[in-house]
Amino acid sequence: MTTLAITINGRAHGPTDVSDDLTLNDFLREYLGMTGTKFGCGAAQCLSCAVIVDNADGTSFTSPTCVVSAAGFKGKSIRTVEGHAKDGKLSALQTAFIEKFAFQCGYCTAGFLNEGQVLLERLALRPVARHDLEKAIAEALDGHLCRCTGYIKYHEAVRDVILADPKRYLA
Amino acid sequence: MKFELRCWALVSVAALTMSMPVGYAYSETASDKLASPDSFASIASPEERSVAYFVELGKVLTHPRCVNCHPAGDRPRQGDEGRLHQPPVARGADGHGLAAMRCSSCHQNANFDPGRVPGHPEWHLAPREMAWEGKTLGEICAQIKDRERNGGRSLEDLVHHIGTDTLVGWAWLPGPGRRPAPGTQKQAGALVGAWVKSGAACPN
Repeated sequence: MTTLAITINGRAHGPTDVSDDLTLNDFLREYLGMTGTKFGCGAAQCLSCAVIVDNADGTSFTSPTCVVSAAGFKGKSIRTVEGHAKDGKLSALQTAFIEKFAFQCGYCTAGFLNEGQVLLERLALRPVARHDLEKAIAEALDGHLCRCTGYIKYHEAVRDVILADPKRYLA
Repeated sequence: MKFELRCWALVSVAALTMSMPVGYAYSETASDKLASPDSFASIASPEERSVAYFVELGKVLTHPRCVNCHPAGDRPRQGDEGRLHQPPVARGADGHGLAAMRCSSCHQNANFDPGRVPGHPEWHLAPREMAWEGKTLGEICAQIKDRERNGGRSLEDLVHHIGTDTLVGWAWLPGPGRRPAPGTQKQAGALVGAWVKSGAACPN
């Protein structure tokens, strides 16, 4: 057993005793009822379960939740799909996903949203030249599977957000 | 007499196998043990004895638990058959993965058996110049003596790296469903030490 204290979407959770065999996905969905994080392949292949992990230095990255232990996130700060909208207002990326009709069934959307958000944050710290942008988006979203084949729409939605604020994201 | 025969048998087998490139068709009958340096004491020639140490160590160096993270390309491999890593990942600039898919995204500080994901705080690929996949044991030997291709290590550093580094040590504690490297890390370290002390000779 591990006593888990974790920050999720800026809110402290725990300390809670969890089994060392418990995945982070089960912790979110079954312990906390945060079902926005999906369970897909269960093998880190589709990344529909990905959440954002915040580093102490202000950088962030995504992590699948289906193959990692909840206990390994003791003391860490993560963000899930439930944390993007603020005061009932969707984020720019969420709005772009809707405007582009990026998703159909929506099962992969939380993973794509988190990955796109991490890309935005990375570009805000280390902007790329316009001619490198398509590659940067493709590399970021690569690995996320969408059975409805919304890849291009997701790509375009992320691109729209970036191009709407070029001073922030582009070198 | 029996002891000498055993040693010469080891050397003979080694002579047959050491020129073979490292592949992934691992023999099910291969030994999971490592002979100790003392086992080679009857080999009179210091150079031949040194080669024998390295050939024995080669059981570890060419084992899937080691080669899978010393790949020839930019993708790690998995399993005893050395299939390409799934999900598809790449080494990235620092060997710790691409920006959007770092090794640590899945590989935590320790093995997580329910997810079948191995772990270590420093989980990463060996640098490209330290690739062992597809090389003969002689080529690997020359490579790990070459500071340009061994991470800038001295021979003494190699003894510590193989004998005590905890990421290397994962090869002997890989968790359920993965065959550990032969012998123990301590035994492997002893073989490296004996090999270095005996002149660090390489198989042809």
